[in-house]
Amino acid sequence: MKSLLQISNDQKFNAPLLFFVVVTSQIAVGIQGFQRLIVKDATHDAWISILLSFLFSHFIVYVMFKTLEIYSTNDLFGIQLDLFGKYLGHLINFSYVIYVSFAFFVVLKNYTEIITTWVFPNLSQVFISGTLLILVIYSFTGGLRVIIGVCFISVVSTIWMLLLLLFPLEYAHYNHLLPVLSNDLVSILKGAYSMTFTIVGFEVVNILYPFVKDKNKAQKYVHFGLFFTCFVYVFVMIVTIVYFSNEQLEKTIWALLTLFSIIKLPFIERIEIIVICFWLIIILPNLCLFSWSAYRGIVRIKNIKGTTFIWIFTILIFFVSLPVQSRHDINRINNIFSKIAFYVVFIYPLFLYIMASTKKILKKWVKSS
Amino acid sequence: MRKIKLILILLICCSLITGCAETKILERISLVTLIGYDNGDEDKVTATTVVRQINPEFESRVETQTETEATSKGTRIKVDMKTAKKLAAGQLRVVLYGEELAKQGIEESIQTLLSNSEISTSVYLAVVRGESKTLIEQNYEGISDIGQHLYNLIDHNIEQQQLISSTLHEIGRDNQSKVRNFALPILKKEGQFIGITGTAFFNKGKMVGELPSSDISYLVLICDSFKSGTLELSLDSESISPTVETKGDTLNLAVDSIKSKSIIKVTDAKKNEFDLNILLKCRLLETSNKIDISDPKVNKTIEKAMNEKIESEISRIIKYTKEIESDIFGFGEEYRSQVRGANLTEEKWMEMYKKMKLNINVDVEIIRNGVYE
Repeated sequence: MKSLLQISNDQKFNAPLLFFVVVTSQIAVGIQGFQRLIVKDATHDAWISILLSFLFSHFIVYVMFKTLEIYSTNDLFGIQLDLFGKYLGHLINFSYVIYVSFAFFVVLKNYTEIITTWVFPNLSQVFISGTLLILVIYSFTGGLRVIIGVCFISVVSTIWMLLLLLFPLEYAHYNHLLPVLSNDLVSILKGAYSMTFTIVGFEVVNILYPFVKDKNKAQKYVHFGLFFTCFVYVFVMIVTIVYFSNEQLEKTIWALLTLFSIIKLPFIERIEIIVICFWLIIILPNLCLFSWSAYRGIVRIKNIKGTTFIWIFTILIFFVSLPVQSRHDINRINNIFSKIAFYVVFIYPLFLYIMASTKKILKKWVKSS
Repeated sequence: MRKIKLILILLICCSLITGCAETKILERISLVTLIGYDNGDEDKVTATTVVRQINPEFESRVETQTETEATSKGTRIKVDMKTAKKLAAGQLRVVLYGEELAKQGIEESIQTLLSNSEISTSVYLAVVRGESKTLIEQNYEGISDIGQHLYNLIDHNIEQQQLISSTLHEIGRDNQSKVRNFALPILKKEGQFIGITGTAFFNKGKMVGELPSSDISYLVLICDSFKSGTLELSLDSESISPTVETKGDTLNLAVDSIKSKSIIKVTDAKKNEFDLNILLKCRLLETSNKIDISDPKVNKTIEKAMNEKIESEISRIIKYTKEIESDIFGFGEEYRSQVRGANLTEEKWMEMYKKMKLNINVDVEIIRNGVYE
């Protein structure tokens, strides 16, 4: 097998850290406004849609690991090169790089928009994305282990926000959840499909895999991570459903932030402002992971240094992000992204697995005959 | 080493330019704490704002401004032109609506408030008898900041469950819901004081009816579960005689609730029949003439008489809300959640609500009556 990766031990990280990687990569900007997308189809059964979508994600992770195990120490880009040959392989690798850059772009754009609508309406988006990108450059140049460290800190330092969701329960109407399963299966599945935008992110495991120290444990922790995010999403969803009326929820763009805006603490009256600024810590590892994935892909095509890459990458993203300003544009971009992401994250791994296993069987067959 | 230096410089720059972001320094802004909307001439809205200006040297000053414009933002610009400091609405506590405007509809205004991220969803809404402008602009002895005063007035009454909670969030939620309407408290200027005099009922954002403040306890009893709250009742002497003797025609008594629970159940979906079960555990605080409550027989009689009295009061209130077509209690919500495939629309539910059959069961239990028997 060609294009095997040579990774020294000091570049690798322990498998349990994958838990934090998966949690941070999934929880980003999507969680702030995913509720209304799902409720549009599944109404008060939206939490069932979330459970379904996570069930499918577990299956996809299982398939992903099956594919990776065939190649033992290779990442997605290496596998694609091996399966599709030099030219087609590079083309597909490049498209994948475009996909992760798109993901990077979407996270960046959504966060800057939240900042401008909620906190600083007059602040230029150029300024916000500029500062964010400088932060990304800073952590990227630290290398993979620093990025993994950022993931860890991000989860640990933001977990308290979940407790804030207990405050809005004062206004809860629990009968909003009833009757359970009153929607037909199609609308619940449609809701599950709308989860795509929120649930994607765990595909970075495809690229991180060769850097994990004890590979046989890796899969377990990825599943753990998925379980945890599933719990978070279902919890957020249930709080949202009992707090809002259905019709009101469909009009609320960032339901999570609106939830926070009723909280009044004695020492701070508008907790959502703090939450939004704190959200930077949640999205930073996302940006780092996506840019790092893009780098791994580019390195296969042309061997360039990490620092050169990240400067070119961020400057490109910066200029692309300039013309996108309005809520309408960002909504459209989100829709396009979630359509593409559905195929890349949920359909493509199945196809890849079939390709890889057929090749393995063919090889065996050729050898034996 | 050079790299670290570069990064350090970048980070220092980043932390320095945060100062370039929009600042809101307390001494340089005026805080809007209260807004009152009224009908202006020709489709316009009159907004009266109470603005609090923080002054480092003197006491903070409270002033009111009134402007009339086609949109509420337009009035804000005009008020901005009259105040020395930039307006900030983040501390808004109470929004008032004049009676006439409330009757014409406040739906759009609620939408505007909800979509403004600057305004918290825990703002209280209320209706003012007459014009809100006259209520706000009057000088009250002993009230230095009317915005804060009204907020406290509404807040503590909601806390003590003498009012139905009317935060912006709840009003927005019930207004947009197909199967629920909302109610707001009515404020009235009474000489040098401001009092809560009743509850205004809304349907599709329009005020359609009202009940006096003496009925509020019953409303809370139906909607909410009481944690604290007092109820004043006058029982007919006929209903309690001959076990208990009264001086006049009625026996007045006041109880305060320790615990209450109201459960709405759909008993027959096809016949449109509901059960309303209210369990009330209370403490007897005051009676108009001496009764021997330690006697279990007397206790039973009073409890029974109270049950009947509360039942008749509640059925009167519900009959009234049916007449004015305003379901603030969430019967529709219960119907939707308990009946599979209900597919309620706004019109369909209103039709059903008017024909709804309701069985009210109140179960009062007097637990104790103080320290002296």
